[in-house]
Amino acid sequence: MTTLRIPSMPRLTRRAALAGLAATAIGAPALIRSAKAADPIRIGVLSPVTGAWTVYGQAHSRGFELAVGEINAAGGVLGRPIEMILADYQTDQRLVVEQANRLLRQEKVDLLAGTFSSADRNAAGPVVKAADKILLYPTWYEGQIKDYYPGVCNPNIFMFGPEPTQQVWPFMEHMVNTYGKKFYMIGSDYAWPRVTNLFTKEKLKELGGEVVAEVYIPFNTPQYESVLRDIREKKPNIIFHSLTGSDTVNFSQQFHAAGMSKDFTFWTVDDEEVVTSGLGPDVSAGHFVSFDYFMTISHPNNKAFLERYKARFGPDALMNTVGVGMYNAAHMGALAIAKAGKVDTASIRDALKELTFDKAPQGPVKMRGLDNQIVVPSYLMKVRDGWTSVNDMFEEVKSVPSVEPKDARCDLPL
Amino acid sequence: METLVSVFADTLLITLVLALAAFGLAIIYGLIGVINMGHGAMLTLGAYFTWWSTRHGLPFAPSVLASAFTVGAVGLGFEHLIVRHFYNRPFDTLLLTWAFFLVATEMIKILFGTDFRNVTPPLDGAIDLGIYRIPAYKTLVGALSILLILGTAFVLFRTPLGVKIRAMVQNREVASLLGLNVARMYKLVFAFGAFTAGLAGGLIAPMYSVDPYMGNTFLVRSFFVVIVGGVGQLLAGTLFGSFAIGGLETVLALFSDQVIAQIAVFFIAVVILRFRPQGVFTGR
Amino acid sequence: MTMEVKPGRDMAVASRSRMALIRGEDLAAIVVFALLAVIPFVVSGYAVYILPQYMLLGVLAMSLAILWGYAGIVSFGQAAFFAIGAYALGLIMKYATLPVNVAYVGILAGMIGAALIAMIIGYFLFSAGVRSAYFVVATLALSIIVEQTVKSFSTITGGWNGLYVDRMTLTLGPFLEMSLFDDVPMYFTVLAVVIVAYLSVMTVMRSSFGKILVGVRENEDRMLALGFNVPAYKTLAFGLSGLLAGLAGALYATHASFAHPSNAGVLFSTQVVIWTAIGGRRSLLGAFAGAIIVASLSNALSAIKAIQNYWPLIQGLIFIAVIVLFREGLAGLIETIFRKRHHGRAT
Repeated sequence: MTTLRIPSMPRLTRRAALAGLAATAIGAPALIRSAKAADPIRIGVLSPVTGAWTVYGQAHSRGFELAVGEINAAGGVLGRPIEMILADYQTDQRLVVEQANRLLRQEKVDLLAGTFSSADRNAAGPVVKAADKILLYPTWYEGQIKDYYPGVCNPNIFMFGPEPTQQVWPFMEHMVNTYGKKFYMIGSDYAWPRVTNLFTKEKLKELGGEVVAEVYIPFNTPQYESVLRDIREKKPNIIFHSLTGSDTVNFSQQFHAAGMSKDFTFWTVDDEEVVTSGLGPDVSAGHFVSFDYFMTISHPNNKAFLERYKARFGPDALMNTVGVGMYNAAHMGALAIAKAGKVDTASIRDALKELTFDKAPQGPVKMRGLDNQIVVPSYLMKVRDGWTSVNDMFEEVKSVPSVEPKDARCDLPL
Repeated sequence: METLVSVFADTLLITLVLALAAFGLAIIYGLIGVINMGHGAMLTLGAYFTWWSTRHGLPFAPSVLASAFTVGAVGLGFEHLIVRHFYNRPFDTLLLTWAFFLVATEMIKILFGTDFRNVTPPLDGAIDLGIYRIPAYKTLVGALSILLILGTAFVLFRTPLGVKIRAMVQNREVASLLGLNVARMYKLVFAFGAFTAGLAGGLIAPMYSVDPYMGNTFLVRSFFVVIVGGVGQLLAGTLFGSFAIGGLETVLALFSDQVIAQIAVFFIAVVILRFRPQGVFTGR
Repeated sequence: MTMEVKPGRDMAVASRSRMALIRGEDLAAIVVFALLAVIPFVVSGYAVYILPQYMLLGVLAMSLAILWGYAGIVSFGQAAFFAIGAYALGLIMKYATLPVNVAYVGILAGMIGAALIAMIIGYFLFSAGVRSAYFVVATLALSIIVEQTVKSFSTITGGWNGLYVDRMTLTLGPFLEMSLFDDVPMYFTVLAVVIVAYLSVMTVMRSSFGKILVGVRENEDRMLALGFNVPAYKTLAFGLSGLLAGLAGALYATHASFAHPSNAGVLFSTQVVIWTAIGGRRSLLGAFAGAIIVASLSNALSAIKAIQNYWPLIQGLIFIAVIVLFREGLAGLIETIFRKRHHGRAT
């Protein structure tokens, strides 16, 4: 630290000099000042760092981390830096309750972001309701219905991932017209696949298609012989697939090993970069996947975003729709706080409604005020033959720059 | 007709794959009475070592063999360091092997990362039987499964080594009085059980998602295979138990949904456990 | 090695030693519960919120100690009963309209339901003389079956999305109606229930029932030869452990305001085994404290980024150490220290 020696000067001039210095100090970048004076805005992030869904945890927390770095480099929010406090809930819903409470009560965070699956978010629902704090939720999910309050339909919870009508509806017509009308639906046995199938059926009927079977598989099922047999019997055109976790991989591998890849079109709403990496190029080639974001989309925002992401996390670092959901949540949270001028739940909530974020990697996004659901682009991609890494995994088939979701089935407006 | 053939082929393949996966447990539990809760972890280790080897250029078959020997060595080390002090305390071995699962799973995550991994099958495509296509690689695994089980049975029943091992199983005290090095036999059997589990893990890796918990899907099923088939009945017991557990699930799934089929199988297994705790095959 | 038999004196010494141990354990219990009672006055915030959850996990560990420590039966299925308690309370609070306090009915239903299921399964298996080794596998299957069932009836239970449970209200006729929404009332309610549960179970286990279970653990064949209906005692023990686990689950559900199928799963069941092993399976207080200590430690350590990824590994290694070196867990360790002191002075 350098000491400033002011040479002997007439008193007035010295005082003027000191005043001038003070004035310069006040005008200095907020970061320098905030390092000493302003305390940070603390955001608690709940991530499955370890446990069954640790594969998703990395992109999840890194997306938020990158955004926080960017926000702080630009001076923070309201002259204060953002501090991200990461809590690992070990993919255990019991620990979501424990850690969410720890973040709010002990770490005294100003708001929460994260959780990964709907079950995790639901576990946090009563917590954020009781504490009246905001939760920014990044993952694609089944949409909101009143029965699942306070995990959904909660004015304090904002959804940054797409719901089924945004993921599926924009491409139904294209898929049906190109590949056929008969859908075989196979999904894991819980709410997200069921609701996704519900909405898909609705659209399918409009287009004159039919569902030849709707099968739900319990988690951790290794053997799919009977399903494969059923598929061969029912002769669908499109396999519409919403299995999760390792079941996705097990099913796809066995499907491919049975030589069925060439006979059917495979459309999945679950296999983003993490899962497709797990499948490998042989098994996944030719699969159709639809989400709001992929690493290989050609939007100009994405190129810059990936450069910054890889600069920080390495050239092979993986990013996916959830990581981008967290990234957008962080930036939009910061924008909302800046707009509100203060850090309290009600103000941030109001400021988030109808907020747009033009720099989102997938293209401009907007948070709806009506039901706390984000309006995002939607991309239909095909897994490239012989891909070698996440950087050349998907090729774009069709895209829609902005898809409004179906109104949430809650008491609206939230 | 097609359905019948396909059901038959599916059931056969499911049975053989499950038998392969359960065989390591059948050996350890059946021959030396250790309730190996780490069996699933040994499968997983075999799969990961295979993945790692193939990734570093080793062809598939040598990779699988190398993994199997590595897992066998790991098992041997664990036996020597810890398990052998607790053979007369079955609950403690149960807990210790569970601890092995906990530690091994974490080591896998640390060493190999947590992403989904995959191993390319050495055989692609399906064998066309006219009315039905069966996956080529799965068929190979099924064949290897039979070979392994028959081979082990041969050693056990037709070789001097096998006689010694069976003597030891029947009556440990008398066997040692007769001059058999019981401690060394135990080591051999434990290591072989681990070897087999590692081998199974490596062979099934191309068919399933390679993740840190993959072996656990087979753990409870393997236990039921061994219990239903008969503890110590390596040949008939393992095959029949696999048929009962694997085949039953397939058949039940025909009539109801997968969830109910799974619950029903476990339920029935518990019932069988109660009424015939020694398993379907006994004696010898 | 022969021991000189001086029946009168040896038995007196042994009996004095045991009484000392019991007095020691009672003293320790008083200390533990007094500490727990004082905490809300000393600290505030998170600790007051989370400790009731850990205390209930302690009760769950106690339920395993009854089976494992006293009767020598390992169960990898305690979570199943915990979940039955949790869902019984949650579902009754959600769907039932009753003239009495629904929460009370829910808790009772959870406890009795869990106990009944435990006794049915216990009788089914023990009456056939199913070896304890096989019993373990059956309890594993039980966890899986309960988890799967809860997941499947998703229209009622919410399935994998979980079930919301309100904070219950404490009522005492027309005299009292207090919502347990706030931390402090909830804390003391749970503490009170936990103390009552501890005292009740302790009384039972110190009675002849407990001694018979210990006899079964030590030498089952001898107990059979002596004419005890061993399967009946095992079944009762299993039922008691189910009762306790169901209570823990029901109160947990209303505290966390959320029940989930994973509450029934194998991973949670095995976590209970680890807690009980570390705390001391032969000691109800040890198991209780073990759960609280390990859960708190896990919470604190997982917050440290450097350790986050390694904590499950460390836990596994501690578990091995406990089984190999410290069979009786923390409680045994403390007991050994006291015994050494006691003997050092007596002779």
